[in-house]
Amino acid sequence: MDAIPLIRLTDVSKVYPLESGDFTALNHISLDIHEGEFVALMGPSGSGKSTMMNQLGILDVPTTGKVYVAGKNIASMTNLERTHMRRDVIGYVFQKFYLIPLLSAYENVEYPLILKYKKRDTTGRAAAVLKSVGFDDEMSAHRPNQLSGGQQQRVAIARALVNDPKILLCDEPTGNLDRKTGFQIMDILVGLHKEGKTVILVTHDPKIAEYSHRTIQLEDGRVVES
Amino acid sequence: MRDIFFDLSVRSVRLNFLRSLLASIGIVIGVVAISSMGMLGTNMQLIVKDQLTTGINTIVITPDVVRAEPGSSASSNSGITESQLTDIRDAAGVNEVIPIDRSSTQFSIGSSNGRGSIYGLDPEDIKNIMNVSEGSPPRGESDVVVGATIADRFGLKIGTRIKIGEPNISATRPVVRVAGILTATGMSSGNGINSDNAIIVSDTWYSNQFGGENVYDQVNVNLRDVSRLSEVEDAIDKKVNRNKEVVRISDSSSRITSVSSTLSSLTTFILAIGSISLLVAATSIFNVMMMSVSERVQEIGILLSIGTEKGEIRRMFLYEAFILGIIGAVIGGIMSIIIGYSVVSAMIGNTSYFFLPESIVYIPGGMLIGMIVCIVSGLYPAWRASNMDPIEALRNE
Repeated sequence: MDAIPLIRLTDVSKVYPLESGDFTALNHISLDIHEGEFVALMGPSGSGKSTMMNQLGILDVPTTGKVYVAGKNIASMTNLERTHMRRDVIGYVFQKFYLIPLLSAYENVEYPLILKYKKRDTTGRAAAVLKSVGFDDEMSAHRPNQLSGGQQQRVAIARALVNDPKILLCDEPTGNLDRKTGFQIMDILVGLHKEGKTVILVTHDPKIAEYSHRTIQLEDGRVVES
Repeated sequence: MRDIFFDLSVRSVRLNFLRSLLASIGIVIGVVAISSMGMLGTNMQLIVKDQLTTGINTIVITPDVVRAEPGSSASSNSGITESQLTDIRDAAGVNEVIPIDRSSTQFSIGSSNGRGSIYGLDPEDIKNIMNVSEGSPPRGESDVVVGATIADRFGLKIGTRIKIGEPNISATRPVVRVAGILTATGMSSGNGINSDNAIIVSDTWYSNQFGGENVYDQVNVNLRDVSRLSEVEDAIDKKVNRNKEVVRISDSSSRITSVSSTLSSLTTFILAIGSISLLVAATSIFNVMMMSVSERVQEIGILLSIGTEKGEIRRMFLYEAFILGIIGAVIGGIMSIIIGYSVVSAMIGNTSYFFLPESIVYIPGGMLIGMIVCIVSGLYPAWRASNMDPIEALRNE
């Protein structure tokens, strides 16, 4: 069963035209990621990890080949449809947290709900999700620059989760944290995977990659090990 | 419900408070310039128009001397005759008809000599149409009223005696006594009587000294209702000029039209000068908005990557421009009242028209234009922000 995978890449290439000649970041990649998987995407810098992330995160379209997310061909969608996919289907966790500096911790988590429902959250969901990632309630009125790295990443995970996405896309989520805090964050991600989320983790740290059930190794834009 | 994008804009403005305030000052200046200039022009127009319309209800009828037939003896009788006056009275109906004798004369006060106009009017008419500022209208036969300019130049007072006529003639000259001094009318008198430089005597005294009884140099018709001006003019024209053109009928409405149009183009001109300041304001708003966009590239990248629609990003920046506009327009509006009032009172010296709708409308008008300028200046920066590539924007440090 499960004939249609959550994410399918068929013969995907991404070529950046440069003055010195075209640069191929992704070279004819075909790949399936099924619902409920915990996948680590590994590779040295310049291997195409970021380009791959952008494809999986519907931030970009391939030069050739097709990317399907939740059964839909990304290239044939309108800009607005892609925006709504990013809002509803994918949760992003970045290395540098990327919280909105002008909003409080609580508002950062509430923000995707406002994007989706076009109104302020009255259901208490934002607060509940913040709590579920172990974020101290008293801190929720603080702006991101008043929080520690670990606290910011918890807020970022809560933000990623608040619209109940199928996919959690984590780009070096522990890269800006000390080891101990990093493992705490990984524990949260493991817990979310157990709850049924599909987790895609980009990292170059083998210790972090060990948390995953499957490792995709990229090198020079090709999958060398899957 | 508060829009979160509005909150974001408010916070962004607050975060860069000084910068935003400075940008708004441009709008403040623009609004004040437009409002004050507009109000100045309008107040000027209203005042001049009001001064002019005090004389507009008068039709002035003068003999058509140009058309005196060659060879005939008509020139000796180039005045409005008693029968023509009757015709005019008939045509004028309820409106007041004032026959006027007029010529120019020399006169002496003590040892100084002068020249001016002399008007002969019915004493009742003098009382009715002249504004005596000092003294009283003539009561006795040889009482006169004099214009403000003459009174000023020769130091005339109530009771001063004036000899009328050429000084080098040996015959004794008639003497009149100043009973009253008239209010200055300036150029604005529309009734064909330039009383500032005139001596006004009774009609009987005039015809005793200058002759021409039952012949008048000018007839004024004072209308009760200005809107019937051309109707009454037509009636007089039909009645008096039925065979040939014997009188010329004129009024000062054309003068008002030309003065009004001059003033209104003057207002447009000063408004245009005021608008230049708004152009400068637009540049500074544009600049601040572009700074706000380029400082927040990464933030825009975050917003876009987690699923914010382009339109929402645009809205956020337009709100910001709108907030700057509101701040500028409100401060500008308040200052316009103060500055506009001061300018009008300093330059025109009369603020009685300031709060009339025609004048005060320039304040909301200026505020609205200021706001529009702000939002228009924010359009391009907002468009630019919303069209960023989220990947590129995120990478921006």
